[in-house]
Amino acid sequence: MDLELSDDQFELRDNIRSVLEGACPPSVVRAVYEGQGTSAELWQQMVELYWPALGVAEDAGGLGMGFVEVGLLAEELGRAAAPGPLLAMVTQYIPMVEAAGAADPLAAAIAGETIGALAYAENGRWEPAAVAASAEGSGDAWSVTGTKGAVLGGANADVFAVVARTAEGLGVFLVERSDAAVDVPALLDPGLELADLEFAAAPATVLLAPGPDAEAVIDAVASQASVAMALHVIGACRRIFEVTLDYAKVREQYDRVIGSFQALKHRFAEMYLAVERANAVGYYAALAIAEDAPDRAEAVHVAKAAAGDCQRLLAQDGLQLHGGIGYTWENDLHFLLKRAKSGDVLCGGRGFHRARLAALLGLGEAA
Amino acid sequence: MKLRFDDSVEAFRAEFLEWLAVNRPPAEAIEADPPRSSAYIPEWAASFTRRMFDDGWLVPGWPPERGGRNAGPIETLVYLEELNKANVPRTTNPQGLGIIAPSLLDYGTEEQIENYAMPLLRGETSACLGMSEPDAGSDLANLKTRAVRDGDNFIINGQKVWTSGANFADFCFLFCRTDPDAPKHKGISIVLMPMDTPGVTVRPLTEIISPEYPDLNEVFLDDVVLPVSNLVGELNNGWAMANGSLAHERSMVWLMGVMGMESSMNELLAEAPALLASLSAAEQATAADDIAGLYIDTVASRCLGYRGFARYVKTGSAPEQALMKMYSTEIRRDLLQIAAELRGPAALPTGLSRHGAVGSLDAYFTTFGGTISAGSSEIQRNIVAERVLGLPRG
Repeated sequence: MDLELSDDQFELRDNIRSVLEGACPPSVVRAVYEGQGTSAELWQQMVELYWPALGVAEDAGGLGMGFVEVGLLAEELGRAAAPGPLLAMVTQYIPMVEAAGAADPLAAAIAGETIGALAYAENGRWEPAAVAASAEGSGDAWSVTGTKGAVLGGANADVFAVVARTAEGLGVFLVERSDAAVDVPALLDPGLELADLEFAAAPATVLLAPGPDAEAVIDAVASQASVAMALHVIGACRRIFEVTLDYAKVREQYDRVIGSFQALKHRFAEMYLAVERANAVGYYAALAIAEDAPDRAEAVHVAKAAAGDCQRLLAQDGLQLHGGIGYTWENDLHFLLKRAKSGDVLCGGRGFHRARLAALLGLGEAA
Repeated sequence: MKLRFDDSVEAFRAEFLEWLAVNRPPAEAIEADPPRSSAYIPEWAASFTRRMFDDGWLVPGWPPERGGRNAGPIETLVYLEELNKANVPRTTNPQGLGIIAPSLLDYGTEEQIENYAMPLLRGETSACLGMSEPDAGSDLANLKTRAVRDGDNFIINGQKVWTSGANFADFCFLFCRTDPDAPKHKGISIVLMPMDTPGVTVRPLTEIISPEYPDLNEVFLDDVVLPVSNLVGELNNGWAMANGSLAHERSMVWLMGVMGMESSMNELLAEAPALLASLSAAEQATAADDIAGLYIDTVASRCLGYRGFARYVKTGSAPEQALMKMYSTEIRRDLLQIAAELRGPAALPTGLSRHGAVGSLDAYFTTFGGTISAGSSEIQRNIVAERVLGLPRG
């Protein structure tokens, strides 16, 4: 068992990181926060780099990389607190479209011609049992009714892949933006482009025909999205750790740098452990998905729950140890804090995944 | 990244398992004379060590004449995995096999290797590590035991404490101060001291659990005379050698922590449904969440350990390894605490057989041997902060 990234994987990570340092510095994030800019230009650059196609099979026009590589991209996007639809596209919409074998929507998505978003969660619940939205119809003529909340990348999406309930079970249906009521609330982290959706007998086409097979696909895509979101949170947390550590090495009080105080050293050791712990299980889950390991279901919940532990500590101590300067709008730290906290509650929060894990371990009812 | 080892590694595993099936010490023998001190060698352990030595399974990474088969680090990892899974103690003298013998092979003279290291490897003797003192615990370099040159001898005076196995060991790998004027890290030397040398007094320290089986000792040294030929390596170079010796141990010692945690977790999971059944729904939810948290730590310690190992094999160093000691010992303590709480009053009976039993408070207390010894968790946090994260000493 080799749980270290390969040389190629390290190289990919470094490439992504250096592109994002150039294309998505904090000033770009700030412009989105302050309404002075949009994510459109960044998105265009990423399309030109074929990043939306990173995890798509080569015969479907993608780069054919594995899920570990997708995880690396998700992590680096978190590290940059990047605004825009890429995270939603690469980790939610495109995997669903690819799994459905829908060639035309997939081609349009990886070419950047269509921005799509996966509309799954309702009332904040990232699970099949919570899906109350319903679909009726047959053949090519369907309609979807219901509501979806906190849809990642939904604010700028042209089309929604909506998980909805039918008499045959869950299926996934494509609804054009113009056929949905899209509400974009003012958000703590506007870069995530979350939207609340309402469908009132919205015209729809079938992406994934309802039934047990569809439910298995939905579960697999949702699991991947959870792990990707875990790694995204961890990316933000690692950056919080780095900037806080840098700050503790230069900020002086009582004629010494504050990082020389043992009380702070021990907290840095804890933060470092929290980041490495979450990172190790996050990539283990990615590998378990990529290689279809027997413990992949447990690994998914472990990963997202550990990311939750990690953001609890890193957002808290990252802000606390910066002192007053971290509490200001002018400092860039808050982009990362907000990304870490927001990512925790998406794709099922810490408590949700711990409870699901406990159920898998035979310790209680499935949530 | 990949989940499986190469076929050649799996073939190595199979070969060892085949050997182990034939040569493992009988469980009844272990039970009748358990490894109760870190230098006590029961008969079954002596003969098992000898068989491992003869067949090249004692330290697989070493050459055949030293009890190995020139195996690589990944093969050694697999070997340790299987010994742990089989619940077979690799040695009943971990300091001797893990630290003292390899240090002698690295720094000792031919004569020292022949007279001290090889008998250890053949299971004929055991050794203890004389490091800590009353005023040199976490601050180990502050040790005060003096060795003064007198012709061809050293005259040694001082006191050691927390010396594991001194009450059974044949000799001690003794750290003492040979240059009191040098900075404290620079005046330390290592001397080999037979425990039956006149002037050596061992006083066992009874422990909070099973006081009838002491392992920790005070060792008093009053005008102990040792030949200069017992000096290991260069004079005043003991601190550097200590760091080298301990590194031997640290490259693999994480695995014991990981596998100990896993086996405790498996035991807890096996018993959990029965334990939870008698609880109210609210208590069940709390207990399930506690156990889920421990499970996350179990997986995390495995992933961190194996990732650090892969990084170590590739680059020769891995920052994860600095985290593993404090992390694996603390989560095991937490697991045994939660398991004991779940069991309620059934956790209260005490006795030697309950040391490792998940759910006994005996087991909980013994975990502090892990969090306190060999660099306490607090020292580990300093090490992580200073050596890995680059925060200034202060």
